[in-house]
Amino acid sequence: MTSSHWALILVLALAAISIRIAGLLAGDRIRTSSHAWVLDELPGLIVVSLVAASLAGQPWQVWSAAALALVVAITTNHVLVTMCLGIIVFASLNMI
Amino acid sequence: MKQGAIAILPLAAGAALYGFAFGLLAAQVGFPWWSVGLMSAFVHAGSSQIVAVEQFANAQMVLGAALAGAALNLRYIGIVASLSDVLAGLSLRAKLCAIHITGDENWALTLSERAKSQEVGAPFLIGSGLVMISVWTVSTASGALLGAALPDLERFGLGFAFTAAFIAMACGLWRGRSNALPWAVAFGTAIAMVLLGLPKAYAIVAGALSGLLASYVIRQTARILP
Repeated sequence: MTSSHWALILVLALAAISIRIAGLLAGDRIRTSSHAWVLDELPGLIVVSLVAASLAGQPWQVWSAAALALVVAITTNHVLVTMCLGIIVFASLNMI
Repeated sequence: MKQGAIAILPLAAGAALYGFAFGLLAAQVGFPWWSVGLMSAFVHAGSSQIVAVEQFANAQMVLGAALAGAALNLRYIGIVASLSDVLAGLSLRAKLCAIHITGDENWALTLSERAKSQEVGAPFLIGSGLVMISVWTVSTASGALLGAALPDLERFGLGFAFTAAFIAMACGLWRGRSNALPWAVAFGTAIAMVLLGLPKAYAIVAGALSGLLASYVIRQTARILP
């Protein structure tokens, strides 16, 4: 454990909390402005982008499993059920 | 708080395996197990930590490695901003604690559950966040301590487990047809950015921003052409 290892932990921790505090300040400011709609839209957009980034460039098995997971999610509206069935479908398709 | 802590357990179990793998990587770069736990507790940003340690392993440049890791975490500006309503009414100290223990999984789960019931709020976020940061800290330190070879996690569908969970959370956040075009734009942009070679974390930020732009254009158009 050198001073460089310590420095990396310290700088990374400071950067991480600074980004979060920037979000806290931005959120409070936006909430009281005429752009409050941004806070309603952001969560869905970030989650959709997270899903898209994890599907990009993946083989058809992953896309098919994702489509089936979407059907399960719409039908059940339950995170755990979708996750479990999603894994089963993914593993089954990978065996083909 | 207990409700959030229980609800996040399946996702925490998945994160633990990734944490173990990261601990292994960090140990190979010279971080003792206790310092890996320390980093996880104070940074609490999985992708940032992984990239920073990888960069550090390659070049031993502290600032460059930390900046690369931090840049991957920029989506947290939007994530924390979107919690404004959930955190309203908490003391500044409680807010700072809450945003530190907020990660992708417990944030998305809190907001998708909140869309179903407005009773879900800060206690759910904090309960689920406490479980996630504890599991992340212990699993990363354990990975560095035990250093055992891991099986191929992708083969068991672990990566897809998170994708499926986020798909379900997206459904929970769906508010109707007005979401369709902005979500399609965000989805398409994020895919295009990854295919163009951009790191996934930047593609997520680009996707969310393009979706916001689409939503803004729709609102302006509706105002001009009622």
